Amino acid sequence: MSFWGLLASVIPVDLLTGLKTTGKYLFSRKATVQYPEERKEPADRFRGMFGYSLERCNVCRGCEKACPIGIIHIESHWEEYEQDGKKRKKQVIDRYDIDVKRCMFCNLCAEACPTEAVWLTTKTYEAAAYERNHALYFNKEKLMHWEGVKAFPGMKPPAEGGLPAFRLGGEEEEDH
Amino acid sequence: MNELLWTYVGWPLLKILVILLALVLLAAYLSWFERKLLAYMQIRLGPNRVGPKGWLQPIADALKLFVKEDLTPGFAEKFVFLLGPVLIIVPALVVFSVIPFGPSPHLFITDVNIGVLFILAVSSIGVYGIILGGWASNNKFSLMGGLRSAAQMISYEVPMGFSVVTVLILAKSLSLVRIVEAQKQAGLWFVFPGFVAFLVYFICGVAETNRNPFDLPEAESELVAGYHTEYSGMKFAFYFLAEYANMVVVSSLATVMFFGGWLRPFPNVSALAFLDVIPPLVWFLLKVAFFLFLYIWFRGTFPRYRFDQLMGIGWKVLLPVSLVNLLVVAYFVSLPGGQV
Repeated sequence: MSFWGLLASVIPVDLLTGLKTTGKYLFSRKATVQYPEERKEPADRFRGMFGYSLERCNVCRGCEKACPIGIIHIESHWEEYEQDGKKRKKQVIDRYDIDVKRCMFCNLCAEACPTEAVWLTTKTYEAAAYERNHALYFNKEKLMHWEGVKAFPGMKPPAEGGLPAFRLGGEEEEDH
Repeated sequence: MNELLWTYVGWPLLKILVILLALVLLAAYLSWFERKLLAYMQIRLGPNRVGPKGWLQPIADALKLFVKEDLTPGFAEKFVFLLGPVLIIVPALVVFSVIPFGPSPHLFITDVNIGVLFILAVSSIGVYGIILGGWASNNKFSLMGGLRSAAQMISYEVPMGFSVVTVLILAKSLSLVRIVEAQKQAGLWFVFPGFVAFLVYFICGVAETNRNPFDLPEAESELVAGYHTEYSGMKFAFYFLAEYANMVVVSSLATVMFFGGWLRPFPNVSALAFLDVIPPLVWFLLKVAFFLFLYIWFRGTFPRYRFDQLMGIGWKVLLPVSLVNLLVVAYFVSLPGGQV
């Protein structure tokens, strides 16, 4: 055995290496985010609170069918109206409820929607409530106004013109 | 008469009170320091919510332990269950009566001429608190912890004794004050002639206080909390306090025996005389703080030893090393003019 080999066998190099590592991290920048005071901005594709736009919804019920756990409930009736002298019919939504407490944020409803009337990319996640059965059951008015939900800074509820933070298919201009 | 009463009763009582209070506070804040340091080593921030920068966290912890329900498990040995915490806290605090914090007669409670022996004897009693507490809890995890503590004790006490004897040979005294004075006379800390003894002593000290990497008796990930699994409230607080007090004891003893107690580095080199502006007590506390930091650093770094590995280290490495070291030091001291 060489001299250095002998020395390395006597001196616990591995232990010293460990001490060096922890000693280095002692002075490194800390990874903690002090949540209520500072918050990280979620990514654009982060799936949080629902956004729902009543004017864009054409009552196709795609979301209701797409939802794997059936938490979207839609009821509607037909209304007649006249356009260019012709009688036409359209569906009017009566009930659009999402039981958010059971939602698993799979995004299948948003993918099924042809008009982007429902979306999850709102960056908003502070929807905690003391009572989940009522506070986390959203009918269409609650969904539009995000009642009881604290919007992420910079994001607006759908009633005030909030739009998805991320769109599949790029940033096309929305035609209103 | 009145003056006699003051010198022999009043003054020592006052000193004891001050040291006890300081010690309890120190132990509490040591836990805060430990949590903070461990958190920093794990790139976290640690406790910072209670009071400014989390400074009141230990106070909150103590208050919580005060008001917690004091449970005694059914089928536990009630008397022995109560005796456990007492047996561990009393030796841990008594030991401080002989530790010299500074040179003047006011900075230690008493100077016993067999101080080292006293400390070794008394602090060994603390292990009974662990063994009895573990046994009396009527819980298999506690019992395992207690038994491990017993086996651990016999494997580290012997090499620790030999490493302490090395210092005694160098200092030619058992009194802790004399040991420091001998280092002043010799002009260097005993860590230089007795470096191996210091290493052995500190490893054994870590084992004696049941700290990582030798925290087998309370091995969190295997035995829930080991010997104090069943303890709650103030009884648990006593175990907790005793652990930190024992850390301070081992650190102070390492400081006194190997790092010159309250002396500045190289006490006889006049070129370093400017260091004398720092009072002796502060020197002592600084050295103790360094060892306490080492303890926490170890805890943040090393995984726990297996049980047989601990025994292997104790009997196969530390014991022969400390014996050979003792012989070598004794040989050099016995040479003509071999006074260190």
